[in-house]
Amino acid sequence: MSCLAAAVSASPDALIGQPAPDFALRTFSGQNLRLSESLGDVVIINFWATWCGPCRQEMPLLDDIQAKYRRAGLVLLSINLDEDQARAEEFARTLKISYPVLVDAKKEVAKAFQVGNMPATVLVDRSGVIRYVSDGYKSGYEKRYTDKLRELLNE
Amino acid sequence: MFRKLILLIALAGATLSLSAQEASTPAAEPTAAAPASDAASTQTAPPEDFKSMDQEVQSLKKDVLDLNRELFVLEEDLLFPANTQIAVFVSMDVGEFFALDSVTIKLDNKEVANYLYTEREAQALLKGGVHRVFIGNLKTGDHELLALFTGQGPHARDYRRGATIKIEKGVGAKYIELKISDRASKAQPEFVVKQWE
Repeated sequence: MSCLAAAVSASPDALIGQPAPDFALRTFSGQNLRLSESLGDVVIINFWATWCGPCRQEMPLLDDIQAKYRRAGLVLLSINLDEDQARAEEFARTLKISYPVLVDAKKEVAKAFQVGNMPATVLVDRSGVIRYVSDGYKSGYEKRYTDKLRELLNE
Repeated sequence: MFRKLILLIALAGATLSLSAQEASTPAAEPTAAAPASDAASTQTAPPEDFKSMDQEVQSLKKDVLDLNRELFVLEEDLLFPANTQIAVFVSMDVGEFFALDSVTIKLDNKEVANYLYTEREAQALLKGGVHRVFIGNLKTGDHELLALFTGQGPHARDYRRGATIKIEKGVGAKYIELKISDRASKAQPEFVVKQWE
């Protein structure tokens, strides 16, 4: 965590209005996913790690959001930052999440998105521009995500 | 950055051109105060103005796009001059015995590119697409290029293969093609490195 924070010099809010940095990562299942292939959809990028308590609370809620809005054009890319992939897979299995989890063990994507706190949630609009960034999670944040998400889906 | 600057200048030019047009419109205003017989003719005039303005905006947009394209080419020429340029391309033929996952390129034992292929990208390669996986600069002289391919080989087994090539970089751009094809006789994939002058 400390090395992740050290890599971050600017506030993630500075990314709002900027094109989202493109990336390709491998999922737990071995499939590769690239952000730019989701152009045209609204994308939620959620960074998490097994040592992060609030992530445990937030992830099932994101799963509900994804189930509800998937057909309206929502894509959820969940990015795990653990170095121990087996542990992260076990964690995701316990939470019974249905969305794909991507592995960023080198934390290159997290650095590109200036992730400082965990979890971090980024909303990208249909044209690939970052429109909302949330640092950390507290109860009720999911309402903010939904409001912003609905706004982006309606654009 | 340079491209953005030029675009800004072009857009500023557009704004000036539009303001110049706006500045010329007051000259038409006195006609509104003209007798009623002239009123009909002045009423039809604005759509033409709009039309010409729209045409001007469209032509300006086209100019900006042309400029953008020229700048892209110029930027590439400046960053990767032909004399030192090296470009590496990946292509696939058939692909029955190999499902591509990633390619890593090492030049003189230094990793210069690592690319993960999504299913869609791998499908595009199978349909005849060619992907430029790396473009960079290289001094004249002898060099070694190592390409590492990972993916799934026959019977869905994890597969990792390397292909090395000695490059003699002379004056002029060097193009390398990494071609993945099937060797039907051995039921195995084949990795061919080809140099284009």
